[in-house]
Amino acid sequence: MIVQKLGANFNYVIATLLFCIGLFTVITKPNLIKKFMGLNIMEASVFLFIVSVGAVREGSAPIVVKGMEKGVQFVNPLPQALILTGIVVAVSTTALALALMIKLYEQCGTLDADELKGMEE
Amino acid sequence: MLWRLDIILLLFLVATALGVYVTKDLMAASIIFSAYSLTMAIVWQQLSAPDLALTEAAVGAGVTTVLFLITISKTVRRED
Amino acid sequence: MRKFLIFLCLAICWVVFLSAVVEMPPFGDPANITNRHVVPRYLEEGVEEGGASNIVTGIILNYRGYDTMGEVTVIFTALAGVLAVLKREDVKTSTTMVATSPVGPSLIVTTVVKLLIPFIVLFAVYTILHGDVSPGGGFQGGAVFGASMIHYTLIFGLLTYMRKIRLAVKVPLESAAILSFAIAGFIGLFFGQKFLTFLMPALSHEAQYLLRHAMLLLIEVGIGVATGIIFGSIFASLEKVERI
Repeated sequence: MIVQKLGANFNYVIATLLFCIGLFTVITKPNLIKKFMGLNIMEASVFLFIVSVGAVREGSAPIVVKGMEKGVQFVNPLPQALILTGIVVAVSTTALALALMIKLYEQCGTLDADELKGMEE
Repeated sequence: MLWRLDIILLLFLVATALGVYVTKDLMAASIIFSAYSLTMAIVWQQLSAPDLALTEAAVGAGVTTVLFLITISKTVRRED
Repeated sequence: MRKFLIFLCLAICWVVFLSAVVEMPPFGDPANITNRHVVPRYLEEGVEEGGASNIVTGIILNYRGYDTMGEVTVIFTALAGVLAVLKREDVKTSTTMVATSPVGPSLIVTTVVKLLIPFIVLFAVYTILHGDVSPGGGFQGGAVFGASMIHYTLIFGLLTYMRKIRLAVKVPLESAAILSFAIAGFIGLFFGQKFLTFLMPALSHEAQYLLRHAMLLLIEVGIGVATGIIFGSIFASLEKVERI
């Protein structure tokens, strides 16, 4: 019963699993670049979850073409509109973080979070 | 039929995410990450979101990967 | 040991997530609560009210215009942050990784990129201008445009990029998205409506729709150009190497 329900909601299962993998990467890897890749995986998993909430099986893309008969089942356009801007913003934040990392490497000579912690004094 | 393609794509997403975690070479990890993004673009095409597929294919596989590669070439390549 | 504990915690987290997923409404059902709230109105009236056959574009620019204006500001702020941390590239002091590397790009790569770039840019322009009738729009086309510029710079070096897109052109274009939003918003104020209103009842029926179409196109082009140029600028300032 539970397995059947999980199978029907397979997209959500994978989205949550990807979120956990990304979080695990962020927590356990000491390298800052690797941490950021994990953060990007988490971001993408959240996007996948939100778009899946609005998905309709056999639904067509939300573009109305002239002469289309009434009653065509469209997918939900609202999550797509929200996520579209989200993707572009995610890239900008990644770029800012990478710029900070390059500056950090110029100053400290390492990108290892544990070593950077020892440098605080 | 397409329903099965979805499952394969989603499992491939998990495989690439694990690949990013396991790989020690950051250059290889960022290439695997671009494969993750590209798979995500196909998943969005399957979910009938062509706008997202376009953006993700250009941004995830193009821009983000290149930014990561540039940062790696300016800093360290090995993780440990 | 520590890693194992974290793994255990996250595994428990995932089980909690799964117990929530079991309770979620079934995937892909048109009768789900998320598909019944405001979305039927968007789908039925969206073409008439939003002014675009592609309903996603209508929502981004019209129904949630304020939201998009905020996002555009975020991208602009990210560029400002990158430029504050790393300086902007300069013809006199910066050089490029292509110039400093012992092996130049191969003939095959340069030829293929040179042949492909015009078509990629053409596709980006098409995507931006046809955002209201087909998949595409400002953000999508801008991303493609930015990616094409980045790959061009990656192969031919920063100096070529700086020669092609000069600073005097680049700086105004980076703020094009916010400016186009401001202009389109103030047109509404000019006619005595609220900020970012697209339909002016003071005009005749046809002029109203024509003006709305022009405003949507203005915002679309602004977002597209600005996104592309901003991605190019971010990449250039990340890639530059100070000449010693």
